[in-house]
Amino acid sequence: MRTNRVTLLLVVVLVTSTIASAQASKAPAGQTLNTTSLSAAADVLLNGSAVWDQVPAHRISLNRTPPLYDTDEPASLEIPVLDVRVVRASGKVLVQMSWADPTHDSASLPEVPNTPPETRFLKLPTEADDRFFDAAAVMLPTKPRAVTPSLQMGDTDDPVRIYYWNAARGPMLMEAAGRGTTRRTGASFAAHAAHEKGRWTVAFALPDLPAGTPLAFALWNGSQKDRDGRKYFSVWQALQ
Amino acid sequence: MSKHQYAMVMDLNKCLGCQTCTIACKKLWTDRDGTGYMYWNNVETRPGMGYPRQWDRIGGGWKNGQLQPSPLPTMDDYGHAWEFNYEQRLYEGKKKPVMPSPAPTSGVNWDEDVGGMNGEENYYFYLPRICNHCTYPACLEACPRKAIYKRDEDGIVVLDQERCQGYRYCIKACPYKKIYYNEVAGKSEKCIFCYPRLEKGEVNACVAQCPGRLRFVGLLDDPESPVHKLVLVHRAALPLFPERGTQPNVFYVPPFNPPKRGNYDKSILEDSRLPLDYLIYLFGSEVRDVITRLEAELKAAQRGGRSELLQLLIGRDAATRYRIHPELVQIKL
Ligand code: SF4
Ligand code: SF4
Repeated sequence: MRTNRVTLLLVVVLVTSTIASAQASKAPAGQTLNTTSLSAAADVLLNGSAVWDQVPAHRISLNRTPPLYDTDEPASLEIPVLDVRVVRASGKVLVQMSWADPTHDSASLPEVPNTPPETRFLKLPTEADDRFFDAAAVMLPTKPRAVTPSLQMGDTDDPVRIYYWNAARGPMLMEAAGRGTTRRTGASFAAHAAHEKGRWTVAFALPDLPAGTPLAFALWNGSQKDRDGRKYFSVWQALQ
Repeated sequence: MSKHQYAMVMDLNKCLGCQTCTIACKKLWTDRDGTGYMYWNNVETRPGMGYPRQWDRIGGGWKNGQLQPSPLPTMDDYGHAWEFNYEQRLYEGKKKPVMPSPAPTSGVNWDEDVGGMNGEENYYFYLPRICNHCTYPACLEACPRKAIYKRDEDGIVVLDQERCQGYRYCIKACPYKKIYYNEVAGKSEKCIFCYPRLEKGEVNACVAQCPGRLRFVGLLDDPESPVHKLVLVHRAALPLFPERGTQPNVFYVPPFNPPKRGNYDKSILEDSRLPLDYLIYLFGSEVRDVITRLEAELKAAQRGGRSELLQLLIGRDAATRYRIHPELVQIKL
């Protein structure tokens, strides 16, 4: 998969300090900008923000991973494309992914109380054992390198960082250095998600990334029992 | 294959269906958030639906070296951990009867004592079940995270809670459905054969508490252990569904009594109350030989002889029923 270096220009719109008035200006790539505040970046994450409307979307075709096990149920390509928008603001790279998914596979899982379970008479129940939740992720190399890491969660020499969001469990930052090595770092990141009219719109705040950083996208469709490597994925895209 | 293998033998002729083992296990290991519905040890009535219902008919395990497909059982199959509306009835003056909620759909011994009919004779027996700590665990093979491993020192199959991501391939793969998903934790969990107790020289909680004294524990490869004697010397115990290919390390002495009414001296093989076909379904065709051996021992004892096998199966004291290998005791109290 290392050779899959199809690069597609993701137009990056540099948002100036006029972000509050939601005016995106199309400044040339590479220009740095440090005048907007973090709270403005957080505002941009929200779907309601008019900023996204002014940013052209890049339509990325998705692939299904081949069945990992003989025992896997077959899965069809129900989500063929993903729309991605990228904005630079407040020293962050804001990535919005949006895709059509009529099944809203989520749940509000109970907040685990801070008291030890043995002190509580009623323990939280497992509501369901057979549901899987929608999820999305952006993967990028941990260290800047000339070659892109393997799409299968990087390699030993080229580890990756995965910004993963799950409809029920929220955002979590993960790391991996090859297939089967993905682990949660315990860190999180700012994200915003909404499911409206059969469409997910999910925005992530990534740290500032240099132009040329490869990004790969993945989606999981809960109703297709997606989890783990059973998912949709894109090839590497170069951030400009 | 591990260096040593802990194993358990359960004599189904002695099980009372009291669920003391189930509660011992529950109080010790599954009294946490998300575990209400799960019973690492359960006792089900056979013939019957089992827990989760129809687990023996939905797949998993190995065939020709390949894992076999299976759906995930649903909460309706396990039975939700229901609550009763005592508050309303007792304190709020509502006249409604005390009812469980959500409405029960199944449970740990749902069809208790229903059994089956053989002509005019009703028959049933209890089948206590834990994870079989298999020699070739399908659960282990199915996990892409390599979160499940078999301990080299004692063959106990454990699931690393740090590595588990809750993908549930293991639950599908296990032909005995002895792994459970904890949605609150987002992880799967299973019987650990009470390894922290064994390491302290204490036998498993389900074994220690069993009033029927039908559970035997020891290393299968330790000639002094009761399980070695019952399984390999007397060949009086068989694994459940051997054809599923995982090579279980929990063995059962098959029920070989009672006969039909008025047939007291007849063999179960001649005129059985318990249909032999059903025992063959559970334990394979070898069950016929095992029953023949058990009946011969019983006959010999009834004639006044002494049967070493029956003495062992009576299991009068702890020393007869279990042997925790001294070398594997790590914490001396
Ligand atoms: S009984 Fe199931 S969970 Fe236990 S070791 Fe065997 S395959 Fe794994
Ligand atoms: S405690 Fe013993 S007798 Fe009671 S149900 Fe369990 S195995 Fe059977």
